Amino acid sequence: MAEKPQAVRVLYCGVCGLPAEYCEFGPDFEKCKPWLRRHAPDLYPDLLLKEENETDADKAARQLQSVAISGSGDGAGGDASSAPSGSASASKQDEVKRLPGGKIKKKEKQEVVIEKIVRNKRKCVTVVKGLELFGIKLSDASKKLGKKFATGASVVKGPTEKEQIDVQGDIAYDIVEFITETWPAVPETAIFFIEDGRKVAAA
Amino acid sequence: MFKKFSFEDISAQNQVKASVQRKIRQSIADEYPGFEPLLDDILPKKAPLIVAKCQNHLNLVLVNSVPLFFNIRDGPYMPTLRLLHQYPHIMKKFQVDRGAIKFVLSGANIMCPGLTSPGGALDEEVLEETPVAIMAEGKQHALAIGYTKLSAKDIKTINKGIAVDNMHYLNDGLWKMERLE
Repeated sequence: MAEKPQAVRVLYCGVCGLPAEYCEFGPDFEKCKPWLRRHAPDLYPDLLLKEENETDADKAARQLQSVAISGSGDGAGGDASSAPSGSASASKQDEVKRLPGGKIKKKEKQEVVIEKIVRNKRKCVTVVKGLELFGIKLSDASKKLGKKFATGASVVKGPTEKEQIDVQGDIAYDIVEFITETWPAVPETAIFFIEDGRKVAAA
Repeated sequence: MFKKFSFEDISAQNQVKASVQRKIRQSIADEYPGFEPLLDDILPKKAPLIVAKCQNHLNLVLVNSVPLFFNIRDGPYMPTLRLLHQYPHIMKKFQVDRGAIKFVLSGANIMCPGLTSPGGALDEEVLEETPVAIMAEGKQHALAIGYTKLSAKDIKTINKGIAVDNMHYLNDGLWKMERLE
């Protein structure tokens, strides 16, 4: 590549800010239409079939709409994100149902659950639950974790009388490897993260 | 990843020292060989390079307060879509079919069937865990930037589940953040 490739100039829609060709998938295609008709008529040929002549009233309406768009865009985002959280709460309910028969659950599945809890905006605690199910002494484990990550790590009585390990700092990412290395009895497939209330397999 | 991303998520902005600048520049040049002749234009040696640290170990590389690259932890640097639109040939490309566009634009990961169907296209050389540009059937410009979970070969043979993680897509938080002050 001897020659410098020139920067491509992309036509961004003046209303929604997307590249003009993506307006149809944007937050509000209807509101982009007047702008598109004027600036990028060849992208959406079927738009041209409609009347060309815009009156001043149209213009004024368009300005109003462009103000309204930022608000409506946010609303759409909220809607979309609410859907996954709904399913998350459903999975939580499953867990709650299983909990009353605590002993059964213990036998049923051995798994390590790792959760990151944010304290104070930029500080967090990583909670490790379920190591004891693999026959690991929690006090030993917390010492090892503390040593490895050079932070405080302690055994804490969690909810429902279960003991868990609190490790200061965000180590969720590195901890998987550490656990599988130090305790070969724990398979990577038995380690789960909790992300936005949902269980996600680490492997 | 950038679905909800705003100025509040940026915890610190620092002008980085020269050695770090060199490192960033080097890793970008390594990752995108086609980008090398442009590097001086996009990351001028004179202009201060600012790295903004965000939540979840995310870094943004800013020049003149415009976000140009981002990376996660020590992962590869990936260009923002606005930059990619200007220089579309720097990245390997995947193409999804038309039906997938609206899902990708609401943040979904790219699934194998969307890439292997008649409307999709794959760059055969792509291995797993590399950044790719996601193009769309019948469109000129990229609509997302992803990080492959499977290699192109595996995508073709397995043809099921997540092929590419969606990192950054049109109209997400980072896209709306044209400038940072």
